[in-house]
Amino acid sequence: MAANNAPLSVRGLTKKYPAFELRDVTFDLVPGAITGFIGRNGAGKTTTLNSLLGFIRPDGGEVSFFGLDMKTSAEAIKQRIGFVSAGMTYYTGKKLKTITDVTRAFYPGWDDGTYRKYMSQFGLDEGKTPAALSNGMKIKYALALALSHGADLMLLDEPTSGLDPVSREELIEIFLSLRDAGKTILFSTHITSDLDKCADRILFLQKGQLTADMELENFRTQYLLAEIQGELPENVKALTKGVCRVRDGYTALIQADDAKAAGIPCRAATLDEIMVHLDKEEAAQ
Amino acid sequence: MNLLKKEFRLCLHPTAPLFLMLCTMILIPNYPYAVSFFYMTLGVFFICLTGRETHDAAFTAALPVSRKQMVHGRIGMVCCLELADIIAAAVMLWVKSLIGFTPNQAGMDANIALLGEGFILFGLFNLIFFPNWYKNINKVGVPFLLSSAAVFVYILLAIVSTYAVPFVRDCLDTQDPAHLPEKLLFIGAALLFFTGATWLSERASGKRFAMVDLQL
Repeated sequence: MAANNAPLSVRGLTKKYPAFELRDVTFDLVPGAITGFIGRNGAGKTTTLNSLLGFIRPDGGEVSFFGLDMKTSAEAIKQRIGFVSAGMTYYTGKKLKTITDVTRAFYPGWDDGTYRKYMSQFGLDEGKTPAALSNGMKIKYALALALSHGADLMLLDEPTSGLDPVSREELIEIFLSLRDAGKTILFSTHITSDLDKCADRILFLQKGQLTADMELENFRTQYLLAEIQGELPENVKALTKGVCRVRDGYTALIQADDAKAAGIPCRAATLDEIMVHLDKEEAAQ
Repeated sequence: MNLLKKEFRLCLHPTAPLFLMLCTMILIPNYPYAVSFFYMTLGVFFICLTGRETHDAAFTAALPVSRKQMVHGRIGMVCCLELADIIAAAVMLWVKSLIGFTPNQAGMDANIALLGEGFILFGLFNLIFFPNWYKNINKVGVPFLLSSAAVFVYILLAIVSTYAVPFVRDCLDTQDPAHLPEKLLFIGAALLFFTGATWLSERASGKRFAMVDLQL
């Protein structure tokens, strides 16, 4: 039995590859919240999600869902979670109806009413094949399947990547309504503007290491952004948490507490700006 | 049972049931009839190859099933197809007996002992293909090449034995119903081999597949 009953609890997760290492990833998901899992491409987000689900075997660490150990209760856990990955299109030539019929049989808690409700809400036609669906519709179908078996936790791997702004907005509204219904969502993405709109918490992964696990608002207000024309002053250079070159000069990310000492005007930074600057700093070290 | 249903409804490649019809090759005069069973293994190859393209493993691994159950489902479907091929071959043997018996110069005559050859061929294929494939399900070619090499060596030995091994030449390679007890004994032994080899294959495959990282 795991130590706590969080929808997802991860302790010291490690996975070593020749060119990449996931190092000591530890976090708990807050029930009923949307947690954004951010990091640049190759930071280890998908490796982490695949390790959580047992698709890949971690070298170390413990993973538990709802207080159940993933090593011993994987099947019971999978009854309560839904996994949606934008990169995966299953059985492109089969009708959605066939895929649903097969999926339904694995879940005793399957609710056909819920399935019909979401299929109709998402405008999905069971007679179509995944190959005939847009990327946004594929994600919606995967969500409909996950929600119909009563998943309490949704693990979403880059669900909005490759979607147009309207489809992304639509999906974000769906995620928010799921959160309102008490579902917990872990949402991996590198499109941080999506998280600005819906996330309650942030997990920030850099080079395989979790460097932030906090409320989005706290994460955002920790930093301010200075826009500097021309050369970067030496006193700012010493305080900066990351610098980016822009057309007329530089932008520098500064810890909010250090803004006064920097002596230059600063503004609130977006999640995207924070991630980019922190990653620049990490790469420079 | 759910996994078997999933295998048939989502993973079955159309060539596999089509290859069942190739048991009609038994009607060809002077042909190595055991080759007709090889086509079903080719169907299995296509099933595994298509599964890679349709992300079958990722879909199945996300379902509430274990890796061992995934292996059991796939090998279960393949066994069903192999048994269907044996039954279809039995039907063709009966059809051929109605048309008229002609001795086969290219291996075993069209008699019930041929079904035993089918069981051995499928057992051998299962034993080599699956444990190798489940090391890395994204690489289907090498396991199929290895298993096919073994299958063709077996077919060659089976043909040679109809000339060189007295028991095969004098008892098995004869017109039915001559030497029926020996032929039934051979089928029984071959069925035993098929069952044992497939069981071993599933055990080894399950162990290997449980340890690998799925490259999704």
